[in-house]
Amino acid sequence: MIRAATIFSDTIRVLASSSPAITAAAAKQLGKVTVGLHFGDGSDGSLMAKQSRLLADGKTRLKEPGVELYFDDHALAMLFDASERPSDQVLEKSLDMRGKRDDLLAVWRCFQLLSQRASGLRAIHMIWSDYRTQTRQQKDSAAALNARVDGSGYTNGPNKEYWPALSWLNKRHPAAQEIIAREEPILMPARLLWDGSTSGSWQDTAKIYDTDLQSTMQTFKMMVADEILELLPKTEPKRDLYDLMADYVTREGKGLRPTLVIATCLAFGGRIKDAVRSAAALEMFHNGFLVHDDIADESTHRRGLPTLHEAYGAGLAVNTGDAMHMFAVDMTLSNLKSLGLARTLAIIQEILFMCRETVEGQALELGWIRYNEVPDKDDDYFVMSNKKTGWYTCISPCRIGACVGGCTDPLKLQKFDEAFRLIGIAFQIQDDILNLVGETELYGKEALGDLLEGKRTIMMIHLFNHAKSSVVKRMTEINAMPRADKEQSLAEEMLHEMHKVGSIEYATALADKLATQGVKRFEQDLEFIEDNEGKALLRQVANFVTTRAL
Amino acid sequence: MEVLVIMVSFSADKGYSNHPTGLGPDGPFPRAALTHHLDRRWLHYAFLSRDGKCAMVANAAWLGPPLKSCDKRERFTTILLLHDDTQGWHASQFNADISTPHWSAFALPHAHDRPARLDIAAPTKHPKVALKLWRSSRPCTSQSAFFAQHQHLRWQSETGVYGSGEIHIGKSRKNVEFVGYHERVRGRWGWPDLGEWVFGFANDLNAPPGKPPEWSGVFTFIRPVSGKAEEQASFMLWRKGRLVRHFPRRNVSFAVRGSLSRDDVTMVPSLPGLLGTPAASMVPRRLMITAILGNDHVVLDFDGETAARIVIPSETSYKPFSVHEVLGGCHMHGEVNGEKFQIETRGIVEFAGGATHD
Repeated sequence: MIRAATIFSDTIRVLASSSPAITAAAAKQLGKVTVGLHFGDGSDGSLMAKQSRLLADGKTRLKEPGVELYFDDHALAMLFDASERPSDQVLEKSLDMRGKRDDLLAVWRCFQLLSQRASGLRAIHMIWSDYRTQTRQQKDSAAALNARVDGSGYTNGPNKEYWPALSWLNKRHPAAQEIIAREEPILMPARLLWDGSTSGSWQDTAKIYDTDLQSTMQTFKMMVADEILELLPKTEPKRDLYDLMADYVTREGKGLRPTLVIATCLAFGGRIKDAVRSAAALEMFHNGFLVHDDIADESTHRRGLPTLHEAYGAGLAVNTGDAMHMFAVDMTLSNLKSLGLARTLAIIQEILFMCRETVEGQALELGWIRYNEVPDKDDDYFVMSNKKTGWYTCISPCRIGACVGGCTDPLKLQKFDEAFRLIGIAFQIQDDILNLVGETELYGKEALGDLLEGKRTIMMIHLFNHAKSSVVKRMTEINAMPRADKEQSLAEEMLHEMHKVGSIEYATALADKLATQGVKRFEQDLEFIEDNEGKALLRQVANFVTTRAL
Repeated sequence: MEVLVIMVSFSADKGYSNHPTGLGPDGPFPRAALTHHLDRRWLHYAFLSRDGKCAMVANAAWLGPPLKSCDKRERFTTILLLHDDTQGWHASQFNADISTPHWSAFALPHAHDRPARLDIAAPTKHPKVALKLWRSSRPCTSQSAFFAQHQHLRWQSETGVYGSGEIHIGKSRKNVEFVGYHERVRGRWGWPDLGEWVFGFANDLNAPPGKPPEWSGVFTFIRPVSGKAEEQASFMLWRKGRLVRHFPRRNVSFAVRGSLSRDDVTMVPSLPGLLGTPAASMVPRRLMITAILGNDHVVLDFDGETAARIVIPSETSYKPFSVHEVLGGCHMHGEVNGEKFQIETRGIVEFAGGATHD
């Protein structure tokens, strides 16, 4: 038996990862209102917003919620059902809300948004299909629907009920069934082209608000990994070079960069196939940087496994990193045949700029560590972070994807810079926070590794600016110690001091602020790109940072 | 018959653009010279192999002389597209060679079951087809669309055209048995004014050799941009080679859902892909058509799988006109004259447009 409160909280959790833009928009509508949820099966839960995140609890009951909300089984089953008309959802005594007028409206807007935008996602259908069949009302409704479809199948012709073709399409291939049968991530609504008197254009793309980020990122990541593995030489020396080059590619990862490259290409009308090669080249550059970065930082773990130099020694690791960079150039040039000279040159230019920014950023950070300096302004960190990771993680993938899609106009490419600079910095700060407070299994690097490396993060800058001078002196001494001499207890001591002055909370709030600004700039600066599948995906990535669980 | 011959020859002599009576063109497809830079004449061929694994689309097009040019000769282009399920789409440029006389069901007299040659090949000989074509059916009545005040398009279709021969696609050579469709087109139009169309056909691929397809359907939806009430729509239904029902404009309905992945759309000829050709709209994946006339009705359900986007330069705008040739499975069922039918087959659908909004 599926509990209503559980399925509702599961939905909110899945939405946060699969479609962050929906979560962020719903959280904005809900604001500070807290909701006590009560369901027809007797289960209770709660819903509230924290910045751009929605927090749903399927176990506890709030003591004094701003709004009390009751769904019976029928109303709940309809909530995320794209195949039913909105008017079908309203039944007497099916839905009840109590609270102040403004709060009620906020909750109403929040649920309306969730219902309208999330019901098209396959991930949500997968959660709710079992629950719907569990409810009697839904069973009856489905049976009636199937009877109508079967009855009209091959024997009866179009009549008043089934005319025009739009009705036929919806009856013969109900949206909810089609999305599951075809394993498509999002629902594409049917459109009428002609009904005998009024017409629509086949070129009017069905308005797509959202897409499933999680499944799309996984798909694109696998496509890029396959491309790299396909292109890697199958010759010797395999053991000491080519197998090592494949190592990082096959490890767990979010697939953020491939997604950005491909999504931007799609946004400009390009094809996924054409973007995969460039995304693979970018991933190769990235892996090369990671190998060298891990050596410089003396990191022990990467994506949940030992770093390359830990596993195979520094010599082989350095050589593999060099080979990755060379191979990435080769992959970039191989675009010539499919993309033509102009687009390939534009991509090469983007990659060269990205590489320069990355090594400059790396130099800034390594210099701070080498001379045991901690910058006193957040802005210094922003510059370093943007150069070191912002360009190759966020900005360059977008610009390269745009080039593949045929947009090489520098003025248009620049439109990506500020939005994704802000998002990239927020993402990096969140990564740094996760290294301190996240679980190792989820984060993939060793716990407190950044503190052992002496990495200059926003938290460290905040600590040095707000701790007593004696603490600052002690922390400076810890930073000056070689990594090999640092014990875990020293890192924990530093973390403790950060907690004392509120560095983690400060960084969390700062990341939220930057992410929110980034999303705002995304909507402003990229307004010139019409809403389409690719832009919807980019929007999800932008919002991913705002809704990421910390 | 003598009267008909005289009328045709009269039309050919006079042309239609300067007709003294102002009564419009003489006959639907006059053999008059193309004199305006937007005058066009086409012969269109579209075939699917009986096993559903291969498809061929070809178009021979005559275009009036260029604007502001001393050269008053007609321009002629031919393009050939081939698809098979292992090698995907292969296409010539617009300079394919075509055998003469050009095969046409409308070249009269033209007996049934008498094969004639149609050879089309890219100058490189890949792709290439060497076919014998023969008719099994009768054409439908011609149809026309008028738009943008002085522009028009006429077309006439014949389903149940059979073909047998050899195709060269990629590096392979295959013998094929085709069932398909032929069309002639004549008119004067600019691509931005024409706007867009949805067009296609489906033949029952299982007819025994020598017999026309049991059922065939051809549908058209033209949507000019210039104003309302200029849309044209129709569904033509053939039964054993004869047109049995024409569902006119107000009795036809079209709907679409979903879109083909851009990876399933191949741009042809290959050259535009390297020249920064603007992207086209997403191609709809599922097309549903309903047609109803009294108790007679047809439902056609097409599910697209792959498409070739033919990029045609527009004479009057910067954006090219794109014709997407979509291949896919097709289910057609209905009732005519009290007889119910249904066929599972494959079809070819064209989604065309894109030259507007420069």
